[in-house]
Amino acid sequence: MTADRVREVTAAQHRKTRPARPPRAGVRLARLYAASRRIPAAVAAIAACAIGLRIALAGHWDSYGALQLPLVFEAGAAAAITVTTASPHGDPERVAGRWLPFLRLAAALALTAAAASALAAAGTGAHLAGGTLDALRNVAGMTGIGLLCAAALGGGLAWAGPTGYLVLGAYGLYTQWHGPALTTPWIWPARPPHDLGAAICAGLVFTLGIAAITVRGARDPAGE
Amino acid sequence: MNVEITGLTRRFGRTTAVAGVDLRAGPGVFGLLGPNGAGKTSLLRMMATAMPPTSGRLRLLGRDPGRYGQRRQIRRRLGYLPQNLGYYPGFTVAEFVEYFALLKEMPAARVQAAVRVAVERVELGGKAKARLRTLSGGMLRRVGIAQAIVNEPELLLLDEPTAGLDPEQRVAFRALLRDLGRRATVVVSTHLVEDVGAACAQVALMDRGKIVFHGTPADLAARGEGHGIGDAPLERGYSAVLTGVRS
Repeated sequence: MTADRVREVTAAQHRKTRPARPPRAGVRLARLYAASRRIPAAVAAIAACAIGLRIALAGHWDSYGALQLPLVFEAGAAAAITVTTASPHGDPERVAGRWLPFLRLAAALALTAAAASALAAAGTGAHLAGGTLDALRNVAGMTGIGLLCAAALGGGLAWAGPTGYLVLGAYGLYTQWHGPALTTPWIWPARPPHDLGAAICAGLVFTLGIAAITVRGARDPAGE
Repeated sequence: MNVEITGLTRRFGRTTAVAGVDLRAGPGVFGLLGPNGAGKTSLLRMMATAMPPTSGRLRLLGRDPGRYGQRRQIRRRLGYLPQNLGYYPGFTVAEFVEYFALLKEMPAARVQAAVRVAVERVELGGKAKARLRTLSGGMLRRVGIAQAIVNEPELLLLDEPTAGLDPEQRVAFRALLRDLGRRATVVVSTHLVEDVGAACAQVALMDRGKIVFHGTPADLAARGEGHGIGDAPLERGYSAVLTGVRS
């Protein structure tokens, strides 16, 4: 066996025997990250939106109201997700290793999935206008807007994105009754749930938002 | 050399915060003095890899922070305390320090012991389970120092570390600095010249983005001989150098 081969084998054995990162450390880090971002409060806010939607759907609404109502709760859930991007720790956290982008990505994806699931569940069997597909598209799209807002303005102002888009979406729905109707797919709440263009636009915004928040994180005005 | 800086410049729009700084520092405590707006914090942030330079060359711990892989290696070996440390008020002291230890990729088996040691070193052992929201400003500063030293960094950057500390705590902190400086390069940015005199082997004085003096505290004190402004020799040296540069 040549010296190079010995080195290769030793290196391979070293790689095999090197102790893996104990899972508890990862879980602990995720738990501390979640606490510092007030993720439990965001989960509670998402649950409150789902409960609110369920209660609201018990009422009798005309078509216009039935379409706008879910949008309010979807925007609320998206705003709750996006404000969790605000970091209280600033520079020391940003320069402390490689885990932060993964934590940001995991938190945003998990919360978006939780919000879409909770709102879809709240609408099950209760005449949710647009159905599950509509809820998923709207939550993902508005969350994407909020995440982009966080990357540009800071986590503390991330709620402004979904809230502003709620106004635009509600106006888009309003124009369906009082023309001329807005038909651009970028105002996806005004499009039917199976509209491919609207789904692509919402998906694109969500993907961009997730990418921005994973790579850059929320803007930290104090650290600029 | 753990810090090698050549022609480092950082601009914010039309403002030049750091203007072509050259600096080299090995193990030991290095003081960075200067008036407000001199560029100390910007220089420290670039050294902490929190902000890229506009131009110039920066090598930390023999690595180039401009390259992703090398930047990661630097960050694992780095401790940084900014001027304004943010914190989640619901964390306990131990949780806060543990969070940074885990983020800095410390081996999981060593984390708890390292947290305990760091908290003890800043004399907060009795407050390890106290929530950050219940601590005074001086205690929070010490928590910040604990998170910076928890990974036993080879390069420790401290921006105004003694702000908010009482005289007794400052004396203890200077002793801690001297101890840390035996193994690591510690760069301390401060307004307080007495901190430099007591703890630093080397000192640089910045003004308007440039280093206008680099030497030992004794050299700086010698510059102040015959100069009227200032109560202590180092203060007179500080004032004499700045007056000379500005005139």
